[in-house]
Amino acid sequence: MDEVVEKKFNFNTVAAICFIVLAIILLIFIPSQIDKPLIQLSFGQFNLPPQLFPQIIAGCMLALGSWFFYKSFSLKQSNDLRGLDKEAITNVIVTLVMMAIYVPLMVNLGFVLGSAILIVAMSTYFGNRNYIAAVLIGIFLPMLMFVTFRRLLLVELPPFPIDIYPLTNWSLI
Amino acid sequence: MYEAFLEGIGLALRLDTMLYMSVGLFLGMFVGALPGFTTLMAMAILLPISFFLDPLLGIPFLIGVYKGGIYGGSIPAILVSMPGTGAAVATTFDGPALTKKGQARKALEMALFASVTGDLTSDLFTIALIGPIAAIALLLGPPELAAILLLALIVISATSSGVFVKGLLMLVVGLFFGMIGQDPISALSRFAFGIIEIESGIPLLPMLIGVFALPEIFVNIEKRASSLIKAEDLKVSGEGLTWAEYKGVGRTLVRSTMIGTSIGMIPGVGQVVAAFMGYAAAKSASSHPETFGKGELEGVAAAECANNAVNGPTLVPLLTLGIPGDNLTVILVGAFIAQGMRPGPLLMEEQAPLVYAILVAMVIANILFLGIGYVCIPFFAKVVTIRKSFLLPLTLVFAFAGTWVFRAQPFDLGVLVFFGAFGYIAKKLHFDVTPMAMGFILGPTLEYSFGQSVTLSSGNLIPYMLFERPITGVIFAITPIVTYLMWRRSARLRKQFGAE
Repeated sequence: MDEVVEKKFNFNTVAAICFIVLAIILLIFIPSQIDKPLIQLSFGQFNLPPQLFPQIIAGCMLALGSWFFYKSFSLKQSNDLRGLDKEAITNVIVTLVMMAIYVPLMVNLGFVLGSAILIVAMSTYFGNRNYIAAVLIGIFLPMLMFVTFRRLLLVELPPFPIDIYPLTNWSLI
Repeated sequence: MYEAFLEGIGLALRLDTMLYMSVGLFLGMFVGALPGFTTLMAMAILLPISFFLDPLLGIPFLIGVYKGGIYGGSIPAILVSMPGTGAAVATTFDGPALTKKGQARKALEMALFASVTGDLTSDLFTIALIGPIAAIALLLGPPELAAILLLALIVISATSSGVFVKGLLMLVVGLFFGMIGQDPISALSRFAFGIIEIESGIPLLPMLIGVFALPEIFVNIEKRASSLIKAEDLKVSGEGLTWAEYKGVGRTLVRSTMIGTSIGMIPGVGQVVAAFMGYAAAKSASSHPETFGKGELEGVAAAECANNAVNGPTLVPLLTLGIPGDNLTVILVGAFIAQGMRPGPLLMEEQAPLVYAILVAMVIANILFLGIGYVCIPFFAKVVTIRKSFLLPLTLVFAFAGTWVFRAQPFDLGVLVFFGAFGYIAKKLHFDVTPMAMGFILGPTLEYSFGQSVTLSSGNLIPYMLFERPITGVIFAITPIVTYLMWRRSARLRKQFGAE
């Protein structure tokens, strides 16, 4: 069960305000964010105007946000983000940073090499001290995944940069 | 329908289908057996594999993961009182006590046989039910479909975990994300904000992996603990299950199957509640309720049979009306859409043999499930000891690889991370992402049906619905009542069984 943390203004109230603001922004931007048809082919027919459905959704968000704002004062829920300790916050941030670094690594160094670096770095950070196992797993499993995707599913993952050299052409795998 | 069913049997009886299902079952049980790694995460991460396979390979593969995952959670629940998935929480009441008595093998085999019994029976029920419901669904036009979709979306938001208004807000957010890209009626570009990559909409696969898999990874990395369990604690000891013991819980299995099947057809309730209800019903019907919680084999059978009996019936509203009942079936919708099979009333008309083939494959999966589960019990018991320090980066790598193969665009990796962070924050602030994912998937269909209804009504929508489409009017009229009843029921069940 959720614990009683705040009785009045709380994280739910802040979230409700965010939803209300988002809804108002949407209502303002709807006319400029929907393309106008170049020609009206169905002139004379009754069609759903392109901006109507988005306006209904934004209107619903505004109404629900207001209801949530009113209700938030009596909600008894804990803010689990605030409940995170220093270790948890550090771990999540470090993982997000590793993920951010992994994207260019995977695209530029290739899937196998980029993944091997991520696996070794992340497993070391999370307590593994058997580096040989980390390197072996880090190379073998992404390699297996690479070959499986390419041969079995016929889809491409970023290949090795050495793919350009004919002697080690990974398209032969 | 009968001809389609026979054709479906012919289509399903393929060696490669069985092979992929077996792989799916194995992977599902593997992930299910890992505490903290949920079936949902396994399905989200393995979803891309199903995208690039034949429908009769990809969807049964994913269904294998689904079935295997629900059962896999019972293994650590029985051995070390650590449920691999939420559905196995009720199994911890009696499973560990049986292990302490030296009857671990008996308990694991009972869990397996009860799971297969519940799953198989509910699958047969699903096959029998889907034809007539699909025939009724075919009579529905765009206004009725729009009304049913709206009803389903609101009901799912009401029954999602947490507060009703928060579920509704997440639904609206999902509908907004679904609007980004193109208007489904006139194909006009909207809310793209000049970003070319989202001109055709937010990519489905990175979004699904992001909201369902990454938050689970983030929750797991909050603590660095690598492995909490010693290998010697995971010894599968004792004698196996006897026929007399299985026969002895026959009534419990029938009761739990009925409970699981009924729960499966109600959107948003799911396996956790079914397992608790099955367990509570078995205890209250028993002539020796005092033995429950102290190592009663019937308790394991009741919970495991009920949670697996949910699996088949959740597909009934999905395949006939296009309405996924929970987060696991949302992922299945992704797989169906990727295969060019849009779940809904027309699916059975256009591709009935294929749908029946998938359902028949589900029945066959139960037989494979029994074989794989029985042979691999000792292996899955050891899975719990695998270090998280290796599993977490590997899961992450799989999530990124799956996202990349979708369109081979670095932008999609950004979408994955964005939705991962969004899902994690939502989880921590008690917002359920399931209504959001459903709104995202069903939003364009809802808008299209709504647009068609406006055209059909010649601009007079309300009189048209009231006088010319009375079913639509009735659905709209009952929406608040059904929503209230479903909300009250799910809130009561959650309160009773403490299941989020």
